[in-house]
Amino acid sequence: MNETALKELLYKVADDLLILGHRNSEWTGFGPLLEEDIAFSSMAQDKIGQSHALYTILNSLGESDPDTIAFTRNANQFHNCMLVELPNGEYDFSLIRHFLYDTAEAIRFEMLSTSSFQPIADLSKKIRAELRYHTLHANTWVKQLGTATEESISKLQQALDYTMPFALGMFEESPYEKELIEGGIFGGEKALKEKWVKKVEEIISQTRLRLLDWKVVQPVMGGRTGKHSEYLQPLLDEMSEVFRIDPSAEW
Amino acid sequence: MKSLDPRVNRLPVIGVPGQILPKATLDQFGTYEVFVQPKDGKPFQHEGIVHAPDLEMGFVLAKEAFTRRFTCVSLYVTDTRNVYVSPMTDGTVSAYDFVHDVEPQSGEKTSYEIYHLLKRGKQHQHMGTVQAVTPQEAMLEAKKVFKTDKVAFNIWAVRTSDIRFTTPEEKELWLTLPEKKFRDAADYKGGDKLKEFLERQN
Repeated sequence: MNETALKELLYKVADDLLILGHRNSEWTGFGPLLEEDIAFSSMAQDKIGQSHALYTILNSLGESDPDTIAFTRNANQFHNCMLVELPNGEYDFSLIRHFLYDTAEAIRFEMLSTSSFQPIADLSKKIRAELRYHTLHANTWVKQLGTATEESISKLQQALDYTMPFALGMFEESPYEKELIEGGIFGGEKALKEKWVKKVEEIISQTRLRLLDWKVVQPVMGGRTGKHSEYLQPLLDEMSEVFRIDPSAEW
Repeated sequence: MKSLDPRVNRLPVIGVPGQILPKATLDQFGTYEVFVQPKDGKPFQHEGIVHAPDLEMGFVLAKEAFTRRFTCVSLYVTDTRNVYVSPMTDGTVSAYDFVHDVEPQSGEKTSYEIYHLLKRGKQHQHMGTVQAVTPQEAMLEAKKVFKTDKVAFNIWAVRTSDIRFTTPEEKELWLTLPEKKFRDAADYKGGDKLKEFLERQN
């Protein structure tokens, strides 16, 4: 098994989950209604839990322990796509990001559930239920707000148009696509993107939202190789503040 | 760079001096009643309400509002306006004694879910299903089948077709719940830690 390729895959998936989990948790206490605040916070917690599980697998492959991986790297050492690090903005953006990201995440783990690397196949099966809820939540909101009022439709539409180039950056290919596919570890970013496009179209077609022509949207790449926006480092500084003050702190 | 703190951009807009406007008459979502089944074989129990824009969103939001901590195998929701409620008693008589006979109704019978409040201050519990034309008739049918010596303080009837149930595939939603003990305050053993801390102080 190509361990470099495998680790690259695990790092990017885990980093996406950690950073988006942290971003989404920033809504805790500020959600648009109490029930949504609770649901969104729970899902943020799920994502951080999922990233922890992946960092634990990386640890078993010889990498540092999960806390060290999560809290001591600088922005340019993170492999997350830029989509997940963008500031929350208004709820329409956070919701559309949640929809576009979680749709991809659910498909990615569905593909990984048949991986030749057993620990990731096992984890995929274990978290399937969580992802089912995350996508149910995202799809239901998008369908509801995407058909509700002129205001909700136009807000979601603007968020969708703004977010799409970043969303396509999720599928930035790794240098090891061929090794991953041939080794049966992961079916590759191209295959994932194809399935994702179908699913996104299926949900959006049930609303009054429109998708831009896929061919004209320019993906925002670079995140997978450590190139990030100005927003990632401040997030990391805040996330790791307690750890940096006292690495042995427990609560 | 603009502030990353979402609160900063969400502060209320400063108003125009002298301007007095009515508050919007309806600026909140409606409510949905949430019923939870804690374990297979146990009855569904009313847990509370959620605000939501529609039934489906009610189901989605109910899942985290009411089942993010304790065991759950299934839940369902219905619009509050679909719940029919009998008169409440003080517990010396059954609420069924206040359900009066009605003339047999014409029309097609549909299925209704029946709930009893068995103790004041507790939640309504699912008793079973009856067939009836109207909610009133459903309670009369329920009186024949579910009335026992155990006094029901109050009875609810909900038409089955008005309920958004958990589908068989969705039953997996709660599979990883037992591992989320960190959501339970007790898991942090705050008392023990405080005791330890105080002992260290002495």
